[in-house]
Amino acid sequence: MKLTRRSALIAGATLPFLRNSARAATTPGRLVFGLSSYPPTMLPWANAGTAAATAKLMFHRGLLGYGPDGTLRGELAEKWEHAEDGAWVLHLRDAVFHNGAPVTSADVAWTVEQVAAEKSTAYLRAEMQRIARVDTPDAKTVRLVTKEPMATLPYLLASYFLPVVAKDSTKDNPLGVGAGPFVMTSEERGVALDFQAFDKFYRPGLPKLKTLRMVAYADENLRVAALQAGDVDLIEYVPWQSMPSIEADPKLSLQSTPGPFMYLTFNGKVKPFDDARVRQAVAHAIRREEIIKAAFFGRGSPIEGLPLTEGTAFYDAKLARGWTYDPAKAKSLLAAAGVGSGFSCKLLSTAQYGMHKDTAAVVQQHLAEIGIQAELVLPDWATRVTLGNRGQYEMAVMGSASEYNDPDGLTSFLAGNLAVSYVRSFGLDIPKIDELLAAGRAEFDDARRHAIYTELQQVFLDQAPIVGLCFRAQGYAMSKQVSGFHNLPGALTFYSGTTLEETTTG
Amino acid sequence: MLWIARRIGVAILLVWAVASIVFLAIRLVPGDPAELLLSQGGVAPDPATVAELHEQLGLDRPVLTQYIDNFRHLLSGDLGQSLQDGSPVAGEIARRLPRTLELIGVAAVFAVLLGIPGGLFAAIRRDSALDRIGTYLSALALAVPVFVVGTLMVLVFAQTLRWVPAGGYVPLARDPLQHLALLAMPAITIGLGLAATVFRMTRASVLDVSQRDFVRAARAKGLGQARILLHHVLRNALMPVVTVLALHLGTLLGGTVLVEYVFNYPGLSGLLVEAVNARDYPEVEGVVLVISVLFVALNLAVDLLYAVLDPRVRTA
Repeated sequence: MKLTRRSALIAGATLPFLRNSARAATTPGRLVFGLSSYPPTMLPWANAGTAAATAKLMFHRGLLGYGPDGTLRGELAEKWEHAEDGAWVLHLRDAVFHNGAPVTSADVAWTVEQVAAEKSTAYLRAEMQRIARVDTPDAKTVRLVTKEPMATLPYLLASYFLPVVAKDSTKDNPLGVGAGPFVMTSEERGVALDFQAFDKFYRPGLPKLKTLRMVAYADENLRVAALQAGDVDLIEYVPWQSMPSIEADPKLSLQSTPGPFMYLTFNGKVKPFDDARVRQAVAHAIRREEIIKAAFFGRGSPIEGLPLTEGTAFYDAKLARGWTYDPAKAKSLLAAAGVGSGFSCKLLSTAQYGMHKDTAAVVQQHLAEIGIQAELVLPDWATRVTLGNRGQYEMAVMGSASEYNDPDGLTSFLAGNLAVSYVRSFGLDIPKIDELLAAGRAEFDDARRHAIYTELQQVFLDQAPIVGLCFRAQGYAMSKQVSGFHNLPGALTFYSGTTLEETTTG
Repeated sequence: MLWIARRIGVAILLVWAVASIVFLAIRLVPGDPAELLLSQGGVAPDPATVAELHEQLGLDRPVLTQYIDNFRHLLSGDLGQSLQDGSPVAGEIARRLPRTLELIGVAAVFAVLLGIPGGLFAAIRRDSALDRIGTYLSALALAVPVFVVGTLMVLVFAQTLRWVPAGGYVPLARDPLQHLALLAMPAITIGLGLAATVFRMTRASVLDVSQRDFVRAARAKGLGQARILLHHVLRNALMPVVTVLALHLGTLLGGTVLVEYVFNYPGLSGLLVEAVNARDYPEVEGVVLVISVLFVALNLAVDLLYAVLDPRVRTA
């Protein structure tokens, strides 16, 4: 009895303290952000996933970026134009790095040089190698002379994989010195990152927050629980199953956008997927709403053409509905391709991510209805990537997002003339698509670009180099005491961390 | 002395065998660390960039060369650097291991405080309502998986009652109260299963020892019930309990991954799983090596202790 009483007293005495500590999240001027994972690396020009990109946006900024509505805007470059001689000219604003040094054209030239270097492991290395030279006529002007016309260069300059870093600063610190709105004050590997407002940030009055803490919550359910318990103020990657309860909670708000998408890739070296009619048959055999329901709890929208978000500049409503569900047409296409009696194949996905596995299960069921018996192959993610890169599959489920809200941002999924990658079909080069992508990239006239991308959408429907399944909602959820944060539209959703500079709490 | 030297030699051989098996096994599994590192977020890395990263990470060298270099470094106490961010593996293990040991330690204390008095009481009041309730509850604690217990605890204590944070970790030195608050739920989640085992073992063992002749003799001598229970029955009954508890704690060194995941607790098991997923070879090898060294060292210590207690072991 003594022991029980003592336990009860100790527990009773401790609980009020615990309660206080759990409540301590929403403090004016301080925000706690629940990341979906801890950044594996924060090297400035490396691609290390969404969490790393969000964290890097706090202390690094590039020449250009995106505003809350998703339009291009100047960051370290105040304005930019395409000169008559074909060069892109950027005029730098008066900004300083965290070490107090001014941001100059020499820093920009050095950054491009580092990214394009032979020994570089930067994500945009190949793209920056298309820049012939960087001229620096004065400390505040940069001229980027490209080897070939690059109408889409501003999008690359807005990428979070291309921050401008203070010249030579990576020698002392691999993360480099940036000019972002926050300074990283501490890093606890695997746990959390702490930031403090940079008082000399180039946008006067910003950031509005004094301190920012990013805590990694790998488990999506715990991330939601942490928000509901008040441990964090804002979370990314809201699981679809939790969206209704967050919307129903009067203390929380949800911002979601159809950004990333699911699709199927094919091995073009394996029969019968080398035949466009078979790929088209697959496209017509799938009831996409069922995938959205099963894998994304109804939070998504079907893709029946080129994966362009509705409302973006080159979206064509008619061509976007090219692959409606039509099993009779699917069967006739199979018959025309000489496989009318059906066939067996393997469908690669991964058991590591529920959305990939669930999508594969629905696709398998629908393909069986037109006579394609697909056997699921569900290894862990690392193995799935390797099998994809080696072309050791017949058909595969994949999920990703366009690099920017422009058809050119889909190049890595469509261009068969690029090196082998698990994100696109294997051994399936369609020269017309490569040609149209190159033409669109080099074209500066809006009307002509529109014509090129309309043709691209038609060729895409005919050739089906990949088969789009659905856009999935990408959500951020936050306490209603948080204001100023915006989920950027479409493919730019992962850039939403940019708006943390305008976010306030309390 | 020869016996001790032989035991130590076997222990070193065991550690070498584990390290070699892990070195080969992780490389035999499909999945390329450089490709994975550059493919985060479902993007396509440039193959030339992947090749460059291979060279930078030393993955382009023959496996035998990597193996020899690996062991040369191990002998000098260097566990290498993480392939992900280049941080020293030994440093990360040194940060994570104490957290896992603390988690297991607190869970063990909880299990002992709950399981031993409970088991003793249930044995004394055998077949009573309380004994039956205790037995049913312990069966339930053993049957329900830790991630279910953990998720329920988060739901009740963090989301509904808001008594404790949902998960995470704060160092003791920075905020002792928050540290304890964050440790409580994962430790209790692990401790509940352990407590059930301790409860059942204690109950069975106390019942068994109570039937022994020396207990009957103590009663015949007129000793008090409390003295018999605490000094004669419990002391003897606890031997198998301690053995089983120690075995369980050993397996928990690398086996708290589910609890770490549910409560976002950055321990050693979570590090191992993350490292395997990223195919971070040095980190996988380092963590497994440290766990195996701890296991082997514990076993060696027990063997040596047996030898001290029982001279027959040394001559066997």
